Amino acid sequence: MGSSKNVLIGTVGYHLLRNHSVGPILLPQLQSTLDGGSVVVEEMNWGPIAIVQYFQTLKKPFDRVIFLVAIERPERNIGDISVYQWLGHLPSEKQIQACVGDAATGVISVENLLVIGEHFKIWPEEVFLVDVEPGAEQAGEYLSAEVEAKIPEILRILEKLSQENYIVLETKKLRGDTLFEENV
Amino acid sequence: MCFKNLPIAFDEQGNAYLKEGLADPYEHKIVDLGEEQEVLKGLLERNGFIRNIDYDPVTRVAGALAFHSVVDLEKRKVLSTNSMATLFRGYEVILKGRDPRDAAYISSRACGVCGGVHATTAALAIEMALGIKPPPLGIVMRNILLAIEYLYDHPLHLFLLAGPDYSEELVRETNPELLDKAANTKAKNKDVHGYDTILDIMKDLNPLKGKLYLEALSMTRVAREAYVLIGGKYPHPQSVVPGGLSVTVNITVLNEVYSRLIKFFDYSQKVTGIWDDVFDFFLESNPEYAKCGIRPATMMDTGVWDRPEHYDASFENCDKWGEARWSTPGVLVDGEVVTTKLTELNAGIEEFVEHSYYEKWDGHRFKEDANGMPLSPNHPWNKETIPKPGKQSWKDRYSWDTAPTWDRMPMEAGAYTRMYLTAKAQKAPASRFLENTGSSMKIHVPKHYLPEKTLEWKIPEHWNAFERNRARAYCIPYSAMVAMENWLLAMDLIKNGETKVSVPYEIPKKGTHIGFGAWGAGRGFLTHHLIVENGVIDNYQIITPSTLNAAPRTPWGEMGPYEEAVLNTPILEKFDNPEDYKGIDILRAIRSFDPCMPCTTHIMAKDTDHMVTREVTTCACGVE
Repeated sequence: MGSSKNVLIGTVGYHLLRNHSVGPILLPQLQSTLDGGSVVVEEMNWGPIAIVQYFQTLKKPFDRVIFLVAIERPERNIGDISVYQWLGHLPSEKQIQACVGDAATGVISVENLLVIGEHFKIWPEEVFLVDVEPGAEQAGEYLSAEVEAKIPEILRILEKLSQENYIVLETKKLRGDTLFEENV
Repeated sequence: MCFKNLPIAFDEQGNAYLKEGLADPYEHKIVDLGEEQEVLKGLLERNGFIRNIDYDPVTRVAGALAFHSVVDLEKRKVLSTNSMATLFRGYEVILKGRDPRDAAYISSRACGVCGGVHATTAALAIEMALGIKPPPLGIVMRNILLAIEYLYDHPLHLFLLAGPDYSEELVRETNPELLDKAANTKAKNKDVHGYDTILDIMKDLNPLKGKLYLEALSMTRVAREAYVLIGGKYPHPQSVVPGGLSVTVNITVLNEVYSRLIKFFDYSQKVTGIWDDVFDFFLESNPEYAKCGIRPATMMDTGVWDRPEHYDASFENCDKWGEARWSTPGVLVDGEVVTTKLTELNAGIEEFVEHSYYEKWDGHRFKEDANGMPLSPNHPWNKETIPKPGKQSWKDRYSWDTAPTWDRMPMEAGAYTRMYLTAKAQKAPASRFLENTGSSMKIHVPKHYLPEKTLEWKIPEHWNAFERNRARAYCIPYSAMVAMENWLLAMDLIKNGETKVSVPYEIPKKGTHIGFGAWGAGRGFLTHHLIVENGVIDNYQIITPSTLNAAPRTPWGEMGPYEEAVLNTPILEKFDNPEDYKGIDILRAIRSFDPCMPCTTHIMAKDTDHMVTREVTTCACGVE
């Protein structure tokens, strides 16, 4: 893929929740197609605190981090894909402590991960979220037809984002207390 | 005789039997909770305030427990409490019909922290059901793995979750009058922790930036590193299997574990010194704090840490191998040990669903256990999980948690119960590191950078929020020393060539096989009851510590432990206006149990429309 940047593509999300589990479901495919060279594909469900400690021990830090997630947002159709850039704005300390409380005890949430990572200053300048609209939460092993149909596009976006001189996609800004868009 | 309420008696030879002459031996009173609600409503009406409040949980990320209370801020008294599990998780339903070998992996996911204990408890249930005895090194390494899991869990609770409630920032907001006194109170244990005054400690308990907070974070890493050497990964270990562990253990692995374990020697001294100083300060500053979260020491625990020469997994011998554990199983009623036998612990358990979103099941398949001990139709082996979502009503059903009881009494669970029972019962094995006196546990911590020291946890006079947390602090040296004892055993086994860590087994394709796994989570009691029928799981029932602690009322109206502890909590927080009330005393009470669910706490202030909503978060398991 020709990137000299160290890129991490991480999947975050609970398993067995159909579209909400788009990251875990696509992980094997991402590992077989995108992992290699300077791009690392990893599941990032193993706890923000542990991830902070992992980043702190990296000899060569990541230059770009991309998370594949599925967050319910208003005014989107199932399968819609948004690309966000994390702005790094932190919520109040009380909110950060609440995130630590959740995170330290096993709650899987990309919001916790971003906020805690930001608090401990582990993130590089470039942190992106590729966020697929999952619709209402449902239990199950498989993606819905709408999200299934978007897999090629999800892979294409992740591939572009992981390239050094990626084509600038339409990105939206994101802040940390709700993971909703920043009005900028 | 240990049972006072269940219809179980014992003959002269100690054999249990069902009392005769009872038309319905397991009948129980059903109290109309509407009467209590009417009294409360009348009280509020007389004061001119009735509020219809939507108590749906409002959690930030993944709410699974909500706690509602009504408080009288003028009289500084809690009037009413309800604990609600707001999430159905369905592990018991998911496991039905599966291969028993799936149980360890699937049930591990019931918790984001204590996956290892769920996996182990599942393995133990299968071992009992199918008669699988792990080899000595498998048993010893399992003990080390789980002791290390606690070494992750205890600092996390003490400093990241409960600790901020006692920090300078929180105390400044809620009881600023204590700060001057804290600044002028010398810390008694400066020699081990280095802090001159209580205020110095409180400052380093501040969340996110306090040194003690950050140090605890780094210690969780140390424990996790040791854990994955045996478990493969955290929090859901890959190596825990029925019959032992699926990992290669050699001297190198043990040395790697030891290099982490030893860091908890000094840390144990420091942590116990810190919390002794902080809690003594609070209790001496205002003796009313002794009522925060107070309830009788009526608790139960499964015991943990099997001894390789005793554990054979069988139900037949479980009283013997249970009592041989490094932590003694049993039941305490008002601080007194009523049994240490796993068969009696097991037979006394019932689960009630009258105030839960479940349908009552029919049938009474197992009327007695393999030894002839009578079992109630409400016993987990007889229970069926039939979810029935419905409207929330304080008078009727309001929780996805069931109401488990032992001998018809709501029971508390905690890591501290493990310590309390073991100290009191004095049945644990002789140890070079641990000594149980009947009123205390002495823990001989070897030297590392600090000189060796004997720490002594004493059974407290009152069982309250402060003592729960204090005991939790002492659970760090307790766990570390059991790990050390087992590490030495593991070294001996390897030196003697006993390197086998698991045994092969097969799942029988025919017949009925029953068992239960009894092991403690970081926050106490955990059982998995299993029935294997023709090679697949026919019934699987999990009781976690928070199933016990967060229980709704029993059919006969007794409160669950959270509900009782909060009801007894005085409001000691200082505030000028009801709007400023933060509910710290109630939060301390709930948090001392280390609630095993992300919890939203609602506190409604009587005579106001002020609703306090606070997060009390620990690990994400606890409901079925």
